[in-house]
Amino acid sequence: MTEQRLAVPSDAEQLPALTRFLQEFWSAARLPPAQALPFELALEEVFMNVVQHGSPAGTAPRVEVSLSLRDLKLTMTVEDDGPEFDPLAAPPPDVTASLTARPVGGQGVFLVRQMMDAVSYQRVGARNQLRMTKEITRSSRNRSRG
Amino acid sequence: MNVRFERLALTTLVMPEGRLDFGAAAGFQRHIEEVLAGAATASAAVIIDCSALDYVSSAGLRVFLLAARAAQRAGISFALCALKPAVREVFELSGFSRIICVHTDRATALASAPREPA
Repeated sequence: MTEQRLAVPSDAEQLPALTRFLQEFWSAARLPPAQALPFELALEEVFMNVVQHGSPAGTAPRVEVSLSLRDLKLTMTVEDDGPEFDPLAAPPPDVTASLTARPVGGQGVFLVRQMMDAVSYQRVGARNQLRMTKEITRSSRNRSRG
Repeated sequence: MNVRFERLALTTLVMPEGRLDFGAAAGFQRHIEEVLAGAATASAAVIIDCSALDYVSSAGLRVFLLAARAAQRAGISFALCALKPAVREVFELSGFSRIICVHTDRATALASAPREPA
């Protein structure tokens, strides 16, 4: 089992550092590059949710991301010490709505739920914890190292 | 994010390159708004050629949704083309490929754009 952690303040400027953290984990574990998308997207969506909706004015909760690979099951956990907020409680957007009726927000968490095998929220002590898991498949032939 | 532009008669091609994430969305939105403002004539078309776009998140989807609405209001034809698999997956899962016109490649998109008035 491989596990890595990174903690950052909930500030949009930290997004590139988080993305790099994920990409480095991905290449160190030699996972198929084409399957990184759900995790890259989930990391951005969940982190930006904390920045935009989980950080009361003047505060920057601490956000801790952990990646844990067991066999080929990858679990990404995003925790923050901001106010209690369950992003999974929001209703999904109406994907059949027309161009003019489609709401502008609410797509991010919906996409994460679609892409992951499992997503769960828990309030653990004074922290929000969102856990996402997905099985990585080795079906395609591995690319050469580099 | 780097964005390139090409003009073919009344059609403006916009080519975003790399990652359209939260950090890139506001800048890309300004580019699109400028293009739409400059294209506001009858039979104009705007095509977003996504062949060099590697990644899009909900922040990028939001820009495309707002642009498609603004184009519709202005009577400008608006379409995307040449989506890479990672971008296509996000478009399909979000249902955006049903509300925004998406062509497989640039040639098909250009063929569907309105012709220049005679």
